[in-house]
Amino acid sequence: MTDTNATSSFQRILSRIGLITVVILVVVLAGGAYLLGRFSVDTPVAYQDNAEHFKYGSLGSEHEFGVPYWIWRALPELFADKLPGKGWESLGFVFERGKDLPIGMSKRRYRGFDLVWLNCAFCHAGTVRETPQSERQVYAAMPANTFDFRAFMRFLFATGEDRRFTPQDILRQIKTIRAREKLGDLPLLDRLVLRFYGIYLMRERILTLRDRLSFIKEEPEWGPGRVDTFNPLKAYFNFPIDQLPKEERIGTTDFPSIWNQGQREERKMELHWDGNNVSLEERNRSAAMGAGITPPTADRPAMKRVANWLRQLPSPAYPFKIDKELAARGAPVYQKYCADCHGADGKNFSGKDVGKVTPIDEIGTDRHRLDSYTYTVAVNQNAIFAGYGDERFSHFRKTFGYANSPLDGAWLRAPYLHNGSVPTLRDLLEPSSKRPKTFYRGYDVYDQKKLGFVADVAEEKGKKFFLYDTDEKTQPGNSNRGHEGYRFGTELSAAEKEAVVEYLKTF
Amino acid sequence: MAEIRKKRKGWKICLAVIVLLAIAGGILAWQKFFREEPQPDWVTSTPDMRFKYGSIGAEYDAGIPYWIFYVLPRLFPEKLPGPGGYASLGVAWEQGQELPIGFTKKVIGFPRVANNCASCHTASYRKSPNENPTFVPTGPNHTLNLEAFFRFVVDCAKDPRFNADEILSEVALVYKLSFLDKLIYRFILIPITKKRLLEREQQFAWVYHKDFPEWGRGRDDAMNLTKYFLIKAPMDDTLGPTDMPSIWNLKKYKPEKGMLMNLAGDSHDARSVIIDSALGLLGAGPHNKQDFLDQVAWLENYLGNIQAPKYPFPIEQAKAAAGKVVFDQNCARCHASERTGTRVPVEEVGTDRERLRSWSKQAAIESNKIVRSFGIERKGLVENEPSGYIAAFLDGIWLRAPYLHNGSVPTLRDLLKPVAQRPEVFYRGYDVYDSKDVGFITAGAEAERVGTKYNVHERASGNQGHEYGTQLPAAEKDALIEYLKTL
Repeated sequence: MTDTNATSSFQRILSRIGLITVVILVVVLAGGAYLLGRFSVDTPVAYQDNAEHFKYGSLGSEHEFGVPYWIWRALPELFADKLPGKGWESLGFVFERGKDLPIGMSKRRYRGFDLVWLNCAFCHAGTVRETPQSERQVYAAMPANTFDFRAFMRFLFATGEDRRFTPQDILRQIKTIRAREKLGDLPLLDRLVLRFYGIYLMRERILTLRDRLSFIKEEPEWGPGRVDTFNPLKAYFNFPIDQLPKEERIGTTDFPSIWNQGQREERKMELHWDGNNVSLEERNRSAAMGAGITPPTADRPAMKRVANWLRQLPSPAYPFKIDKELAARGAPVYQKYCADCHGADGKNFSGKDVGKVTPIDEIGTDRHRLDSYTYTVAVNQNAIFAGYGDERFSHFRKTFGYANSPLDGAWLRAPYLHNGSVPTLRDLLEPSSKRPKTFYRGYDVYDQKKLGFVADVAEEKGKKFFLYDTDEKTQPGNSNRGHEGYRFGTELSAAEKEAVVEYLKTF
Repeated sequence: MAEIRKKRKGWKICLAVIVLLAIAGGILAWQKFFREEPQPDWVTSTPDMRFKYGSIGAEYDAGIPYWIFYVLPRLFPEKLPGPGGYASLGVAWEQGQELPIGFTKKVIGFPRVANNCASCHTASYRKSPNENPTFVPTGPNHTLNLEAFFRFVVDCAKDPRFNADEILSEVALVYKLSFLDKLIYRFILIPITKKRLLEREQQFAWVYHKDFPEWGRGRDDAMNLTKYFLIKAPMDDTLGPTDMPSIWNLKKYKPEKGMLMNLAGDSHDARSVIIDSALGLLGAGPHNKQDFLDQVAWLENYLGNIQAPKYPFPIEQAKAAAGKVVFDQNCARCHASERTGTRVPVEEVGTDRERLRSWSKQAAIESNKIVRSFGIERKGLVENEPSGYIAAFLDGIWLRAPYLHNGSVPTLRDLLKPVAQRPEVFYRGYDVYDSKDVGFITAGAEAERVGTKYNVHERASGNQGHEYGTQLPAAEKDALIEYLKTL
C-alpha cells in the first residue's frame, strides 16, 4: 500500500516536474522567439513618393549612428538651455506640417527600436520665402541654407557632457512628452533596454565623436549652410589632426545643390568643389558616409533609389517674375563671359571647360578648401569600401584648383563661391573689394533684385542669424577674393551686370 | 545477437559521421587557411604592374591578415611617424590603388598583405608642389621610412590594445566579416599575428637601439637585415644604413668582367641579389621553390632590361655637350670605364666606412650556407672582407639623390663641393625636385615637415670622401651637371 502510494506520489511529482519543464520550455521558447523577432527586425520607413523619400527615407545611417526616436524627442526639451532657441528648429532644421521629424531625418526600426538619423536631405534641402510673411517653400536637393550643422554637433556634444544625460532624466523627459501626447509610458522592455544599455551607449558614442571632431573648435564658425567636408574624413581615419599643417585644417564650404546629377555623370564632370572625383556613384557613397552610413551598414537599394532620382531631378524654376527683355540682353553677355566654364545655359551643360578644374592661381578664390584635401587623404580613401568589389573608392584625385560648375538652379545656390562668401550673384559680379565685407546667413527670404537670400537682416522674431565675416585674417577660409577681373565679368557695365543677373534667373 | 548487431551498426554510423565531419573540417580548414587564389588579372596585366603589385610569395610567412593590416593605422595612429596612415611612412601610393606600391594582396585561405621588391624600389618625384607624384618602378624609394614601418607593426603587436575585441570592433566599421571569419580572426589570426610580430621584435633589436641614429627616409640597413634575419646572428655594434638603390638595367653588371653588386660589392650577380633580397621579404625559405625561382627569373629579366627614366625637365644640349668633355676628363675613369661596377678601396674614395663594418666574410659564408640549405643554387655573396665601395654606373643618376652610398649629400651640385662646404644638416624624403642643383629639395618648411632630418655627424652618416671635381671652375661644374642630367 504504502509502496504504491509512494510510487504514485513520486510519479505525481515527476509528472508535475515534467509539466513544469514543458511550461518553462514553452515560455522560454516563446519569449526567445518574441525577443528574436523584436530585436532582429531591420525595417526602414520608406515612402512611395520620391521627393518624400529623399526628405525622410532611410539610407541606413541609423544602423551605426541611430538615436532612439524617443531620446531624439527628449533631448531638445531636457537640454533646452543648450539650444539657441526653442526645439530642433532653432538649429535650422526644417519641420514640414504634420511631420514629427525634420527634413533630412529618417526612421528605421532596428534592434527593437525606432532609430532616427540623417539622410542626404539634411544638407541638401532648403527653404525660400518671398517675403517675411509668405509661407516657406521647401526645395529638395538645394543647399540646406538654414541648417547649422556645427551648432547641431555642438548641441549633441553638450548633451553628452551634461550630468543630466542619465537614464533617469531622459526617461522622465520621455514620459512627460508621451503623457502630453496622450501616450502611456514606454513599454517596460524598452525602458529597461534604454535604462541599462541604450542611454549609456549613446552617451559614449556622443563623447567619442566629440573627441574625434574636437579639432573643429579651432576652425572659424561655419554658420548655417556650410560644412567642413574633408577634415572630418581625416578624423574618421583617426589621423592625429593636431599634427597636420595649419593650412590644411580648415575646409569649410557651402552645401551644394544636388539636382541634375545625370548630366554631370554623363559628361564625366569633376565633382566636389575641387573636382576631386569624376565618379558620381563614388561621390554619393562618400557623401552618404558623411550622413552616417558605413560600408557594412549602408542600405544599398535605398541609396540607389535616391541616386537615380537625383540623376534626373531638374533644378526648380525661378518662381518670381523675370523681365524677359532684360534677360534676353543678358544672354549674349553670359555666352561671351561665362558659358565656356559654366555651360550653355541652365539645362545644357556643354562648354569646353565645364566640370573641369581651373587652377587656383587663375580662379584666385580662397584656397583653404583646396588645401584641406591632400594627396594623403586621396590615397587613404582608396581603401574605403574595400572588400565590396567595385564599390571600393578608386576615383579620388588630388587637384590643384576649383571645378567649374554648371549653374542649374543658380538662384537657389546662394551664397556664392565654394565657401559661400558672396551673398548674391549681383555681388559676385563686383570685384572683391566691392563685395560685402560682412553679411548674414541663414535667413530664407529671397532678394529678387540681387539674386540670393536677403543678407542684411540680423534677426527675426528672436532668431539671430549668422554674421559671416570675410576677413581672412581673423576668419581663415572665409575670404571672398577671386573669380574677378575681366574674364569673370566684374568689369562689365552696371547695365550688363543687371542683364546677366536677370538671365541667370532662367537657369 | 540482434542487440549486438544494432550496437555495431550504431558504432558504424558514429564512425561514418566522425569521418565525414573530419573530412568536412579538413576541407573547411583548407578553404579558410590554405586555399590559394591567384591575384586578379590587372595585377599581371603589364610587367610594371606585376613588379608593383605582384606577389612574390611573401604572403605565406610574412603576410599580415588583410583586415588587421587595414585597421592598424586607425587603432594605433600614435605609433606612426605622423598623420596619414600608411602614407605617413612615405610609401609610394598611387591614386586609385587600394594598397601602396610594393604591398601585395593575396588570398591564401584569407586575404593577406605582404611586400615585394617595389616597396623599396619605386621612386617618386614631383616637378612642382602643384602636381601629383610620378612613380618610377625600379627607382630608389627615397621617401620610404622603412625603419618606422618595421617599428610600427611590432609596436602595434606590443600594445595591449592589439586584441580581438579592439581589432574586430574597428573592422566592423569597415567590413562585415561572416560569423565564421570573425571566429577565425578572434581565436586564430589575431593571436597568431600578434605572436609572429612579437617574435620579430627580437630580430629587430638593433632597430630599437637607442644609440643608433635613425635610418631616416630612403635608407635601410641592408646588411644588418641579412645578418639578423637570415643568419640570425647575435646583435653586434655595427650599423650601415645606406641609400635605397635603383635596380633598373641590371644587365649592365657583367660578373664575367669582375663586376660586383650591392654598394660594397657584397654579391656576385643580379640573380644572387634578387634571391637574397626576396628571401628577406619572404622571411623564411620559399613555400614552393620552383615558384620562387620562376619569380626570380622573371625579375631578373625585368630588372635586367628596364631602363632608367629620362630627366623630366629641359636640358641645355650645348651645355651638356661641354659637360661631356668635363665628364670624360674627370669622372669617366671610374664611372664609365672598365673600373665601373668594381670595388674601389675605401682608402681611395674616402667615404664613410661604417657600412663596410656591418658585413664580413664570415657572414657571407654563413648566408650562402643557409640559402644553399633551401636547395637554391646561386653564385651568392662574396666571401671576402668588404674593403671598398663599388664605382657606380650613373644611369638615371638624377633620380638617385641623395648621393654617396649612405645618401649623405643632397644634390649633385653639393657633391661637387669640398666636404667642408657640403650641407651638414638637411631633410630627406620630400619629393619635389630641385632641377637647379639636381636632387630633391632638402630644406624649407615643406621639406622639414615631410622629411626626416639628416645629420652628417651621426654615426655611419658622414659625408666625407669622393672629393672629385670639387676644384673645377664653376662653369665646368655647371656643364658637368647638365651632362649628368642626360644619363
